[in-house]
Amino acid sequence: MKALPPFRNAAPGSALWLLGHELRHAWYGAAVNRAGKRRPATTTLVIGLLGWVALHAFAYALLSKLGDAARADRLLAVAAGAPLLISSTFMLSQALRSSVIVLFERGDLDLLLSSPLPSRSVFATRLLGVAVSTGTLYMFLFSPFANVGLVFGRPGWLAIYPVVGALATLAACIGMLLTLLLVRLLGARRTRVVAQVVAALAGAALFLLTQAYNFVSRGSDPNATAHLTKRLIAGGMLAPDSLLWLPGRAALGDILPLLAVVLLAVAAFALTLKRTHRFFVHGLQEAASTSRARARPGGPPRLRVRHSLFDTVVIKEWRLIARDPHLVSQVLLQLIYLAPMLFLILSKGDAPLAPIGASLPLLCASLTASLAWIMISAEDAPDLLLSAPAPLRLIRLAKLAAAAMPPLLLVALPLAWLVVRAPVAGLMVCFAVSGAVLEAGLIVLWLGRPAPRSNFKVRGKENFVCTVFEMVNILSWGAAGWLLVAMTLPDSDMSALGAAAALAAASVTLLLAWLFRRRPG
Amino acid sequence: MTDLQFDKHAPSALRLHGLHKSFGRPAVDGLDLEVRRGELYALLGPNGAGKTTTLRMVTGLLAPDAGQVEVFGIDMARDPAAAKRRLAYLPDDPMLYGKLKPTEYLEFVAGLWGMRAEDAEPRAHRLLDWLDLTPHAHELSEGFSRGMKQKLALAGALIHEPELLILDEPLTGLDAAAARQVKDLLLSHVEGGGTVILTTHILEVAERLAQRIGIIRQGRLIAEGTLAELRERTQGGSLEDVFLQLTESR
Repeated sequence: MKALPPFRNAAPGSALWLLGHELRHAWYGAAVNRAGKRRPATTTLVIGLLGWVALHAFAYALLSKLGDAARADRLLAVAAGAPLLISSTFMLSQALRSSVIVLFERGDLDLLLSSPLPSRSVFATRLLGVAVSTGTLYMFLFSPFANVGLVFGRPGWLAIYPVVGALATLAACIGMLLTLLLVRLLGARRTRVVAQVVAALAGAALFLLTQAYNFVSRGSDPNATAHLTKRLIAGGMLAPDSLLWLPGRAALGDILPLLAVVLLAVAAFALTLKRTHRFFVHGLQEAASTSRARARPGGPPRLRVRHSLFDTVVIKEWRLIARDPHLVSQVLLQLIYLAPMLFLILSKGDAPLAPIGASLPLLCASLTASLAWIMISAEDAPDLLLSAPAPLRLIRLAKLAAAAMPPLLLVALPLAWLVVRAPVAGLMVCFAVSGAVLEAGLIVLWLGRPAPRSNFKVRGKENFVCTVFEMVNILSWGAAGWLLVAMTLPDSDMSALGAAAALAAASVTLLLAWLFRRRPG
Repeated sequence: MTDLQFDKHAPSALRLHGLHKSFGRPAVDGLDLEVRRGELYALLGPNGAGKTTTLRMVTGLLAPDAGQVEVFGIDMARDPAAAKRRLAYLPDDPMLYGKLKPTEYLEFVAGLWGMRAEDAEPRAHRLLDWLDLTPHAHELSEGFSRGMKQKLALAGALIHEPELLILDEPLTGLDAAAARQVKDLLLSHVEGGGTVILTTHILEVAERLAQRIGIIRQGRLIAEGTLAELRERTQGGSLEDVFLQLTESR
């Protein structure tokens, strides 16, 4: 990528020049630049620009409706603060990931630290690079409100720019401090895994908290949501004057909160630089070079060669998954969004059956597709399997079974509960779950493309066709589960017809996946 | 060159006939080659000559566009399982699972080749000892050095006692001690009646180990024979001289 104007003329070795280097690398690793191209593709630029214009239109429509309502001003700090706070959890997640990348994965740290550049500048620009890469997306999302605010005679809203920058800087500092602390406590190798798991959890933290709040309050307080709103209005801890909404008030141009937020970010940056610079230069290198895991001596090595190839493959797949906590956390995070269903089952004895009938196939199909991708498409040593005399068909069957068994075990208990409570409906859900799992695995087997495990999160972008088939499968079996259960309930006029349509959609999807299957090249 | 003796009239362990493979342009172009049983054969050639493509066709990883691969008289296209049962392949990049321990890796490979537990277990222990991997048997291989990974992959290749061992650049990135271990192991495999085919850019290795050397260029075999025969043909000195003379003269 050609350097941007401010960096193009920077003196080699200057802080600005180093920052340009950081940002260039951040662009190469950016999610929108999976191909690692030097320049953004024209399509990317056009889509980005259109999206930005659309956000301006959205902001305009929203602010037009807001008008001059007196109550709005009072709650505006909350309305502005809430998205900023939510975004902060995602920023922290991104900052943690970026910190791991810039400290361990980019591989240019030795080069920079062995050069005559001051190590403090190297660390400062690295930290700044993390802040910029963390804040860019949110600047893109929030800046239209600042610009449109100007049109509506609210120039104070231009403070959104420094506030987003300050929040990104704070997230970068916390992310870097946490990463370096983990290095000190756990060593470099474990830090990579733990930081990525924490990053994944930080991204979902808000959702988890709201679900936990719903769950805890459901038993004792049936009107929990109403009471929360009341507390918000009445002046409790979530009142508009609360410190919690300080970023919101700052973003609206309130001068003191703005100063506080910006000064906090500057202080955090300076403090991070001062407190961790030495460890960054010396400790990190030592930790990285002594990070090889030493297993405890466990007596003489024992081999357990199994009699069946099927068992051998299944055990190998499960071992590989179980020893990859980062991957496990990514897979399980997908399921967090199905947590409300579990809360429903656990909290109510008279839970509605049809939503459960939809949720279980959804959950199983989603989990099976993820595991099947890891086990089949992301096989680490495909040449070993191909060069072995073992029948490939049996190996694939074992991989499918290894991917299908964990989801089935996971839903075994809810299914058993359902069968006991409503036998016919329970059996219908068993059928839907089985169909969903089988089809999810077969779609990946037929349409999946080889890829490294590290591509798990972006697999959807890399194989769009497979993702579409997976989605249709998940939705078809979810709908089938719902409607098959509804058929067993009174007043189920159109359920049979709907169930037949959903099952037909699932069957057609399977047939199409088979027709479009990849043939060995 | 090694002092190992081999029977010039021994039946072939590997026979390639008119092998073709093209990726837009021909990578292997009508290759005819024969490797005898009990022989250590070095396949040499400049970068992009078609060595790896040839080995991948021999091991059944790539299907040839035309031609035939026979392993101990078994046609790879007709009965791949029977052919693969008698060979092992060790590519340049070891085929390992970082999240498996050495013992678990060997268990898995033994399972793929359908070995019985009572045969696999003592053999695995012997290989781990031989390659100095026993002290690391409880560690995940993702933390291993390049040399240790290569040795583990070699243990995996040898666990089912293949009659034909095919190695692509087996000594790349190994330190002197590990390289010596691998070379000793290959010689011992041949002494035990096995056949080895290897590619290497380290000509000294081919010069010391190989009984016969084949040189390919642009997917074709341009010279073949013992080191003495190749020297005679080119009036060259070392194998390096012979190699450069042959590959740069056309």
